[in-house]
Amino acid sequence: MIAGLPLAFLNPWILAALIALPAIWWLLRLTPPRPTRIAFPPTRILLEIDQREETSATSPWWLVLLRLLIATLVILAMARPIWNPQAVTTGGDGPVLVVVDNGWGAAPNWPRIFQTADDVLAEAGRDGRPTLLAATASDRAIGAPTSADETRNRLAGLTAEPHEPDRMALGPAIAAAVETHGIGEILWLSDGLAYADGEAFAAALRDTGAETVEVAAPETGDLPLALGPALNETGNLKLTVLRADANGAASGDIRARDLKNRIITETAFSFAEGETSAEAVVDLPVELRNDIARLEITGEATAGAVQLLDDRWRRRVIGLVSGETRERAQPLLSPLYYITRALAPFADLRESPDPNLTVAIDRLVGERVSVMVLADIGTLIGDTRQTLDDWIVDGGVLVRFAGPRLAGPRDAGDQEDTLVPVELRSGDRALGGTLSWSEPQPLAAFPDDSPFAGLPIPDDVRVTRQVLAEPAIDLYEKTWASLADGTPLVTAVRRGNGWIILFHVTADAAWSNLPLSGVFVEMLRRIVDLSGASGGDAATGDASADVLRPLRNLDATGLLSAPPPSAEPIAAIDFAETRPGPSHPPGLYGEPEAFRSLNVMDTGTRYAALAADGLSITPYPDAEPRSIGPWLLALAVLLLIADGIAVLLLSGRGLLPTALRPKASGLVIALAVTGALAADRPGMAQSGQASLDADDQLALEATLATRLAYVLTGNPDIDETSRAGLSGLTAVLTDRTALEPAEPIGIDIDRDELAFFPLLYWPIDPDAEPPVPETLARIDAYMKQGGTILFDTRDELEARPGADGSVAGPGMLRLRTLLRGLDIPDLEPVPADHVLTKAFYLLRAFPGRWDGGPLWVEAALRDPDEVARPARNADGVSAIMITSNDLAGAWATDGDGRSLYPVAPGGDLQREMAYRSGVNIVMYTLTGNYKADQVHVPALLERLGQ
Amino acid sequence: MVARPELELAAPVAIDLSREAAGVSARMPDLLMQARFVANTVAHGIHGRRRAGPGETFWQFRRFQSGEPARRVDWRRSARDDHLYVREKEWEAAHTVWIWLDRSASMYFGSNLGLARKIDRAVVLALAMTDLLIRGGERVGLVGLMRPTAQRHAVERAAMAIAREPLTDDILPDAAPFGRFSELIAISDFLEPLEAIEPAITAIAGRRVHGHLAQVLDPVEETFPFRGRTEFHDGARGLRYVAGRAETVREAYLNRMAERRVRLKAVTDRIGWSGLIHHTDRPAQEPVLMLHGRLSGNADIRPAGKPSEAVS
Repeated sequence: MIAGLPLAFLNPWILAALIALPAIWWLLRLTPPRPTRIAFPPTRILLEIDQREETSATSPWWLVLLRLLIATLVILAMARPIWNPQAVTTGGDGPVLVVVDNGWGAAPNWPRIFQTADDVLAEAGRDGRPTLLAATASDRAIGAPTSADETRNRLAGLTAEPHEPDRMALGPAIAAAVETHGIGEILWLSDGLAYADGEAFAAALRDTGAETVEVAAPETGDLPLALGPALNETGNLKLTVLRADANGAASGDIRARDLKNRIITETAFSFAEGETSAEAVVDLPVELRNDIARLEITGEATAGAVQLLDDRWRRRVIGLVSGETRERAQPLLSPLYYITRALAPFADLRESPDPNLTVAIDRLVGERVSVMVLADIGTLIGDTRQTLDDWIVDGGVLVRFAGPRLAGPRDAGDQEDTLVPVELRSGDRALGGTLSWSEPQPLAAFPDDSPFAGLPIPDDVRVTRQVLAEPAIDLYEKTWASLADGTPLVTAVRRGNGWIILFHVTADAAWSNLPLSGVFVEMLRRIVDLSGASGGDAATGDASADVLRPLRNLDATGLLSAPPPSAEPIAAIDFAETRPGPSHPPGLYGEPEAFRSLNVMDTGTRYAALAADGLSITPYPDAEPRSIGPWLLALAVLLLIADGIAVLLLSGRGLLPTALRPKASGLVIALAVTGALAADRPGMAQSGQASLDADDQLALEATLATRLAYVLTGNPDIDETSRAGLSGLTAVLTDRTALEPAEPIGIDIDRDELAFFPLLYWPIDPDAEPPVPETLARIDAYMKQGGTILFDTRDELEARPGADGSVAGPGMLRLRTLLRGLDIPDLEPVPADHVLTKAFYLLRAFPGRWDGGPLWVEAALRDPDEVARPARNADGVSAIMITSNDLAGAWATDGDGRSLYPVAPGGDLQREMAYRSGVNIVMYTLTGNYKADQVHVPALLERLGQ
Repeated sequence: MVARPELELAAPVAIDLSREAAGVSARMPDLLMQARFVANTVAHGIHGRRRAGPGETFWQFRRFQSGEPARRVDWRRSARDDHLYVREKEWEAAHTVWIWLDRSASMYFGSNLGLARKIDRAVVLALAMTDLLIRGGERVGLVGLMRPTAQRHAVERAAMAIAREPLTDDILPDAAPFGRFSELIAISDFLEPLEAIEPAITAIAGRRVHGHLAQVLDPVEETFPFRGRTEFHDGARGLRYVAGRAETVREAYLNRMAERRVRLKAVTDRIGWSGLIHHTDRPAQEPVLMLHGRLSGNADIRPAGKPSEAVS
């Protein structure tokens, strides 16, 4: 210790090196900075110059001084100087009461508080004064004064507790002790935080009448940070970080961990100037967010810097799958529109990620959705049913909406749709139509045991169309909502841990105006609430009669460990009001799979620095010696940098040589160009014809020109006829219409990409194997994405009247087995007012090689009030067309344009009509309902003319 | 940093430079050298001597004189009247042009301000002039490297000769076998002491040689853009000069350079030679164009740029 200065050196002998400074000075004077060396041929001319300037042989004095200073600083730093302030002492006489804060806020400063208390007690012991000790977080009463040694033993047993101190509980006891024992000095070793009662406790101490009351608190910069409750919002998790004083730490990180204590993410926060709270945002996908079990402020080892999360913070993820994909173009017609609007505010929605239904559902299940909405999905293909079933048994909630596909007729060979709560009748029931006496039905009141119980019934909701359940004994139990006439509107069944819920109407406003009403939102909301119950049920519902036992508890430093012996269970119903305390330390309560978390910091918790009115607060003596060696070294480094700059300036050059600048930028440009070239190279390699693989080749061929496409059946005769037929049709289209397709292309339905072709001609080979489920899924996706498939069974001649009056040739039977796996809406023969009959030519029938077979298309939903119009206004294009007339056979021509096959019954007129049919079909698939709109053209023109 | 601490003594790449020279000369108009001196030389060339003699250009018809070989009669002309005529052609003779290329170490200096080293530029200049002159039918020789020749491939030979012997310490060769009335193009930086240069060129001029001095300088040598404490050294001669603050020397250096230029101009003016200064930050076409002008007697051709200002 140097006299007058609290400075000491750990290695004072190194200071002897200061003697060498004069020698360093002498050396430095003699070595001027090195000149720049330049080869310069006209040096001879320079030598001829008479005027020779005296070059500086020594360094300037201030440079020498700077370097000497650097040397001095380094030597001083090596001697390891220590800045060590004096320890505090107490004064006064009489018994000493030491009040120690040992709540969670004391944890970071606990060694210091403990050391100070120990020092004070030791000093009191030397003075022979009796002592008392009170810990605010764990004591409720104060004993008699004891000797300092005994009190120190008690002090050694104290630890910081993970909950807040209850200071005011000690207030009366202290007042009584002052009264009885004549305490002369009260020393409150606080943790610097006010909590709820800091000021009141300070006032209470002041009013006890003790001679001296001293308060010690850590410096405001040493106060811990606290983490407020987390708020789970739509896109992220919001957190509030609190600091006790506006001068505290300015920024930091928040770390999120999962149940196994693995770090999930870290996010930074920073306080604005003068603010005591800062917001941090954990921006993660909701699946990852739901894994977060613990949030903590990095580097803060207190229970208040930890927030434990339980199921209440999880957001539901809802997957939406629709049978239609035209919502991109016409959002208001999308079945998912109203569901999306209803659910978006309180859940995370996942739109169908892939047009292929199988893939979409697999991915949604993989994303761990808790609710899945299927809007008008009739048939589930392949393993999807099993995937969904497993998911429901695991706790998923499947919500289905009816629609034309679900209501569609079923063949005997169809697999039964097991993913509906009740058995459904085929077809739908229309109320209030032309042929019906019934009126559109309103809702009946919700049954009491329904989750919808208590929702108000709006008067204006009317259901005009619904699917009906087969009557069954348990139908009533499964019904959650019904119409006024008693037919079920919403049915549900529990399966495993999950639910299957069916709305008997569509999700859009086509069948009812339920989706337009507010009650629809409430119904969906209650359904979504059901889903969360998978884990929380045990904790909140079933176990409500029970108590939540302490599972894992935090200690004062924020570590989770086995509960202490003092921890007591909490009654589940009281849990929401319980605050952490000595008997309920913060932590997790409940069972390992279903727990609730109890956190130190709550929304209402006050967090501020202690301000004791009338009492002076002294900071804790900084017992830890501060080494100032590193600071000296840092200063030396700074000076060294300054020296470097000075040398550069002395030698007459700028800090950055001017000649370097253009070079540097040139280098950057060169690098960028090189990078760009390197990036281009793979692209260039791919554009080479040789390296194209078959898929790319097909994609190029299919997209560079519009082409008709046919499905390769594997039967060479059929394939050749298809090719020749489409080729003939292509020639006709080129001759007669604005469409000039390139040569037709045959595609492998199992392998090739279908998305490039607007129309796919598919001749049915009765002997062919049915497609595998993956192929069916692709066909399904193709049709739902807007593609049209023209099936041709080519068996009109062989067709016999079937049992139910319909024709059934071998091709048609094969087609039925094929379509069984597909999600096909209702079909109808082309009605006279269909756009197909007037897309290019006016047609009455669609003959091919044979005449007489009808052309089937998707049945359009008819509006009963619709007035008769020349062309029905149907949105979209039928995704499927079925004929049995062997169109390709009639179209087929050889290379010279001569027909390959005769037509039956015959005649050039029939072949011409076959061509016209083909032209109409192609035009219909390419232009959609454009022709239907054409009927308005005169009216529009008339209006424009005005 | 505009200059390097050491000279880059790599030999000039003859092939690249001859290609560059070909590019320079290809853009020049054909050089028809002014027949300044009418000399009786047997060498064939295309400088009309304004008198009849061996050549290709028609000069005049004259009467056939008896005794002449009959094959000299121009029958087409003779058929037009009663006399016999002989077609005479103008006597055409070639000049001999010597090119001296300074290949001393100081020529190997190049700074970041110049486009190339001085030696590279000088070689380009020499080769381009060779090409131009040979295309114009003159005989060209490289002093110390190649005898005068009018062959087409002389440029390649010249390039190879330079590549074989890229670095010498020769000064202006007053002992070279210059013929009377020949021309000399001296390409150098002329940084030698003027006391050595002046007698040499005076001696050469005394042998009735007409000369052109092309001084190739790096911009750094002309502008002296140095600052701060700098050590200048000339490795070839072992000279060294340390300037405490280079900017203070600049003025004196520039004065000194200007003074040398004036003295050199005085000498060339006295003996009737021409001179030009070329800086390596300018394109090589400029000095070639100026030499082209000088040699073809049309001194008015001047480049648009100013730095290669003519001295004479």
